[in-house]
Amino acid sequence: MPRPGRAALTRLSRHRLLGSPGAVAGLVWLAALVIASLTAPLWLPFKTEDQDFTAVLSGPTAAHWLGTDELGRDILSRIFAAAAGTLGTSMITVIVGVGLGTILAMLAAGAGERTETAISRVTEVMMSLPGTVIILAVIGAVGTNIPLVMAILGILMSAGIYRVILGQAKSLQSQLYVDAAKVDGLGPLGISVRHVLPGLANTVVVQAALIFAVGMLIQAGLAFIGFGPPIPQPSWGGMIQGASQHVYDAPWMMVPTGAVLALTVLSANAIGNALGKAPNAAAPHLPSAADRRQRAKAVAAIAAAARDAEETGDAGTDAGAKGTLSVRNLSVGVDNAGTGTGVQLVTGVSFDVEPGTVLGLVGESGCGKTMTALSLLGLLPSGVSATGGQILWNGRNLAATPDKDMQSVRGREIALISQEPMRALDPMFTVGYQLTATIRRLRGMGRSEARAEAHSLLEKVGIVDAGRILKTYPHQISGGMAQRVAVALALSGRPKLLVADEPTTALDVTVQAEILSLLRALVKDTGMSVVMVTHDLGVVADICDQVAVMYAGHVVENGRTAAILDNPRHPYTLALLAADPHANHADSMPERLATISGQVPQPKDWPAGCRFAARCQFAGSACLEPVPLLPSSAGDGLVRCVKADQLAIEGMDWLATDVPAGRLLPVSPVSSATPEPAPEQDSIVEKDLA
Amino acid sequence: MALFVAKRLLMALATVLVVAVLAFLLVHAMPGSPGAVSLGAGASQDAIDQLNRQLGWNDPLVSQFARWLGDAAQGNLGVSLIDGRSITADLANRLPVTASLAAGATILSAVLGVALGVTAAVRGGLLDRAIGGFVGLLVALPAFWVGIIFVYLFAVQSSVFPATGYVPFEVSPQDWALSLALPVITLAVGGAAFIARQTRASMLEALQQEHIRTLRATATPTWKILYVHALRYASLPIVAGIALQFIGLFGGSVIAEQLFAMPGLGQAVQTSVSTHDAPAVQGVVVIATVVVVAVNLVLELATKFLDPKLRAS
Ligand code: SF4
Repeated sequence: MPRPGRAALTRLSRHRLLGSPGAVAGLVWLAALVIASLTAPLWLPFKTEDQDFTAVLSGPTAAHWLGTDELGRDILSRIFAAAAGTLGTSMITVIVGVGLGTILAMLAAGAGERTETAISRVTEVMMSLPGTVIILAVIGAVGTNIPLVMAILGILMSAGIYRVILGQAKSLQSQLYVDAAKVDGLGPLGISVRHVLPGLANTVVVQAALIFAVGMLIQAGLAFIGFGPPIPQPSWGGMIQGASQHVYDAPWMMVPTGAVLALTVLSANAIGNALGKAPNAAAPHLPSAADRRQRAKAVAAIAAAARDAEETGDAGTDAGAKGTLSVRNLSVGVDNAGTGTGVQLVTGVSFDVEPGTVLGLVGESGCGKTMTALSLLGLLPSGVSATGGQILWNGRNLAATPDKDMQSVRGREIALISQEPMRALDPMFTVGYQLTATIRRLRGMGRSEARAEAHSLLEKVGIVDAGRILKTYPHQISGGMAQRVAVALALSGRPKLLVADEPTTALDVTVQAEILSLLRALVKDTGMSVVMVTHDLGVVADICDQVAVMYAGHVVENGRTAAILDNPRHPYTLALLAADPHANHADSMPERLATISGQVPQPKDWPAGCRFAARCQFAGSACLEPVPLLPSSAGDGLVRCVKADQLAIEGMDWLATDVPAGRLLPVSPVSSATPEPAPEQDSIVEKDLA
Repeated sequence: MALFVAKRLLMALATVLVVAVLAFLLVHAMPGSPGAVSLGAGASQDAIDQLNRQLGWNDPLVSQFARWLGDAAQGNLGVSLIDGRSITADLANRLPVTASLAAGATILSAVLGVALGVTAAVRGGLLDRAIGGFVGLLVALPAFWVGIIFVYLFAVQSSVFPATGYVPFEVSPQDWALSLALPVITLAVGGAAFIARQTRASMLEALQQEHIRTLRATATPTWKILYVHALRYASLPIVAGIALQFIGLFGGSVIAEQLFAMPGLGQAVQTSVSTHDAPAVQGVVVIATVVVVAVNLVLELATKFLDPKLRAS
């Protein structure tokens, strides 16, 4: 996490504030209220105590815009006269509460576990107290000294604020730059003020706005039950209490004051909520009903496009052999309800998986491998959907299949294993429940039959004490064990195709090997096929028959595993191989491992030409044109590089890390300006390589 | 688990004790000696001093507190300075009123809040935004103001419910329910809004968990993913939120009791504070704390029981 600069933070805050109409309205209302109440003596038509006996309990009139109370006092004047006091004393609660809460949180985060435990205990106790009753007892002791009472209310509320801020303060405290500052000899106070506090600023402001609102409500509530500022000073709560005496004869009276109070609270809340909105929360794995409708539209669009293609006769809907997965020209994009031109995350991906074979989808993270894999089950995250192409499976185009029809495919025909076995299992239910429920659903078995099947499945995936594991919760077993359970879960519907998303990445090396050999055995025994997503070429070499190397949302090279690993044609494949310690053959192991400088470009930054150009050691001006996927000179694969043949002839390798800086092409973000490599740089590349 | 329960019990006891000390000190900081309060204006200084001596007001604070604690442990919270009635007996009469009010409001808030929050999270889109706006409005409305509006609508305009007063359950269960209706609804408006927010956030968080994808990948029906698995996962923070809300609603009953003229604990706090009735204030603060702490303890244990990680250990 980069250090949140103060300026960036203010920019962000401003952006979020002004982006929310509610917050803008709230700011305007609060500002107007403060100005109006501060200048009240200058413009108010009546003094707060002026009594107009000709208009007692009147509704709105020309003289009294908001009516009068039981003594004929002007309600408008009293509301604004009371505003400054209400807002000001609520600020006391904010300053004391948020101030104390923040200080406690920074103290707890900075001073070690003992202090944290102590402070947390005290705040827990504070939060479990009946605050209102205690505040009333305080009023008994100190009288209706509103500023003091509001300060004590702040102390009581600081506990909740501490709880909100603590986590963030702790994560800021554990940042690398904080360690660096410690090494530089900055004391704990200095660290808190210089490094932690700025990072907390937004949360603190959010809490301040919310506490301000609560403070106003409580203050008004106290005034309502008779503990407001001394009579005859007006207060909002006191005025509403006065109005409550006249519900029968003058119901209007409660409207203006209540509305002003509610609006003010609403304003503060709107500001707090706008600032506190998480910028981009993770997408739910089960989209909301509204998102599912959106998704259904996308699916219907693909189906319609496929029908049109069929009518015009140029459809390639040869259903393929049974059990073969054929992905044709698949694209996946972010939903964009309005314009229909959301960012594409995956474009033009095609591959085939024959029964009983394993296909590896390889590439760095952010290349669209996982999106491609999830689209096979129709399980793309909320807000993302397949936007075109075909996923042909047993005569059906899964890309154009509605979600409810996918239910008969998921688990029964195509199953999924995910990366983190611990998180893939439901922590709230036992392994046994999860397995038997799945088996009963997918195989239509009875309870005891399913139980026995669960037991034998666990044994099949190599779990010795299946009986015990069935009774455990996921947190009670190891990661390797959990992955075996996840495999068993995936097998429970006897699928023909297994989609495995980095199934070994989160595991220890020895466990990785076990899981891989388990998968290999399963492929052999059951004849199912596997789509294996991985960034690890060792895994590819170990288990895959075919490989598709993906970069920036499309396939850059594919073919048989042996061909790709021995004769890579695409520079990205070369680079991956050069950077992978396991994929290098022992005899040709280079002394230094290569790295690929830069990062996979963001989908919105993909250039029209070769998407790898910004990081490619061999990029030239020809690479600025769109590059097609063409038959490779090695084997029967395809490759997407204009220089593939040339590189093959010249036998060039991706060079190891400390390539002189000048040899590398500028890694400027591809989106900005033209990434036109200067000719002389191009020649430097050629020369160095020669 | 047993150790956990013991620890929590100990902490609850400590909390009550701390509040007892706090209340004792606050009461001693009240203006006017108990003698003066009890005898009222116009009493001679001699008589006041005499009564203060009798009440032990001049003893060292520690021994006064020890005496109070000893009596309180036996269920004797002293007598009111104003009318000499037993505070224990008085509070025992009032507790059921506030308890029905707070429990009713908590249950109603929980039911409405969870329903609204789950609907918002599950349906999404326009409905989510509409519920969000509605809930935001409810949070901002002062309970006492809402109460007056309810009185106006349901008691003044159409006399569906009695406007004020409380009928004990023993007298007439039906009238008891009717007399509670308006105050409970009044309190539940804000409570439901808070719980709705908590529920929505917790449900969304649950739906972001990776195991939801596993469930979908094994063709689990949507209703089961939502209402068995996600709701189960979200239940921990939701119950914690409800526990917190109970404390707020218990405090809010002070206002509801004032507005609807209900003879509960809140009213007792309010009158005893206004009349400087020291032992009554002290008693009611301690009793309120005991109730809140006890309910919290139960709900907290419930939360822990819902969490397999803690249950197993
Ligand atoms: S097309 Fe050009 S930039 Fe792209 S991989 Fe090939 S050589 Fe590199």
